[in-house]
Amino acid sequence: MTSTSAHLRVDWPHCDARGLCAEVLPELIHVDEWGYPVIVGGVTPELRQSAKEAVLVCPKRALRLLRDG
Amino acid sequence: MTILASSSPSMIQPAMSIQPAMSIQPAASIQVYPGPLVLRGVATTPDLANHLAQWGAQPKLDLTTLLELCSSAVVKGRGGAGFPFARKLSTVADHRRRGQRPVVVVNAAEGEPISAKDSALLLTSPHLVLDGAALSAHALGAREVIIVTASDRPWVADAVAAAIGERESARADRSLRWSHRPTAGRFVAGASQAVLEHLAGRAALPVTAWVPEAVRGVRGRPTLLSNAETFAQVAALARIGAEEYRALGTATSPGTTLLTVARLDEPSGSSHEPAVHEVGYGTPLVDLLPWDAQDGPVLLGGFHGTWASPVQIAGLAVDRDAFAERSLALGAGVLAPAGRACPVALTARITAYLADQSARRCGPCLNGLPALAESMAALARGVDTRARIRELGGVVVRRGACAHPDGSARLVSSLLDHLPDAVGDHLSRSCTCTGGAR
Repeated sequence: MTSTSAHLRVDWPHCDARGLCAEVLPELIHVDEWGYPVIVGGVTPELRQSAKEAVLVCPKRALRLLRDG
Repeated sequence: MTILASSSPSMIQPAMSIQPAMSIQPAASIQVYPGPLVLRGVATTPDLANHLAQWGAQPKLDLTTLLELCSSAVVKGRGGAGFPFARKLSTVADHRRRGQRPVVVVNAAEGEPISAKDSALLLTSPHLVLDGAALSAHALGAREVIIVTASDRPWVADAVAAAIGERESARADRSLRWSHRPTAGRFVAGASQAVLEHLAGRAALPVTAWVPEAVRGVRGRPTLLSNAETFAQVAALARIGAEEYRALGTATSPGTTLLTVARLDEPSGSSHEPAVHEVGYGTPLVDLLPWDAQDGPVLLGGFHGTWASPVQIAGLAVDRDAFAERSLALGAGVLAPAGRACPVALTARITAYLADQSARRCGPCLNGLPALAESMAALARGVDTRARIRELGGVVVRRGACAHPDGSARLVSSLLDHLPDAVGDHLSRSCTCTGGAR
């Protein structure tokens, strides 16, 4: 298993199921039956750039990239 | 003794009005039994003079002594999550900054509607709770203590206001500023983040906590927010010392705990009032259940809790570790026996109530809980929706600003995991509620 150094966290009261994050980062973000994100794993160094993009693309600013620990 | 919380007898309500699901209200009348420690003063009136006669003056401890005392007595939060109190206290202490004294918040909102233990405590021994808050405030150098009560328990608000008034006119703890803030009487308003939102002047609804309130809480200050019973336990512990406190409980769970026994069925001729007991950890759980409800399932921990079968309960002691070994949790200390009522029908009603109580802010909860309630209602009608219930339970967990979806998922999963026979009987129409014999 690849080691992760960061993780994504959703600000649930702000998330509006726009789904842009899942388009940018399908490796780590799936969507549930109502379109809300399901984070399926930690952010590996290879996916770090895409994770940053997923955070920036959210129109509600409801996704954050946080350091582990 | 019975504590009639409301002033007018016409306001007396049953412990829980189960139909329709949306009208579940906290009980206005509670049976409170004297206990070995924090409820030892139940028989006297709850005024300051009686409190001082019973407990003597409140000791003042420095931070190191209080931390040492709370960690050696393994004091854990009594609001449900069971977070170690000493760790919370030291986090607040570590984040004190120049010109920013910490704030102490006593959470007496008791959002779990069938719980009555914090109400019982504040109606019978309010000064013990305030002592614990004052003691913590002194140790931390805090000057401000805020007590939060819920609007659907106005009798608790009255008791708190009276106790604060007494302390102010007696000029007790003059370095402290007491205030009392009633919040909304709804399930999620008692969650710590919702309490902090309320204190910030916003709607009392949960928000995402990026930083714990112990680091940044009320007005950005480090905030010691704990359940009312936790503060009473700390005050009692400071009076009697760790050794005597430990002797009341077990090696891993020292001291005592408050428990609410609230039956979910409607026995004829028997009381609807919830009963509040204080017992030492290690007490056999079955001793606390009404005799006619001991052979049925029990919902442990309240509406966010877990169902337990009679087999799981047999020989079980009131002890956090013993509970965890059987995949059970004591939560905020509610024991709710189903008695003769069908646990499937009860769970369907409770899930409908929980879905209604969602703050409707977080998508997975807003959509998932009504779907879960619908599937539970179908199960109660005899449709086998077990797979869908499991799927929805998995979808909502850890996907909200507060633990409301997690608690609701825990409730329905425990029905399927711990009471599979009851669910099977219900589906094959051989349980009492569908007309069959039990």
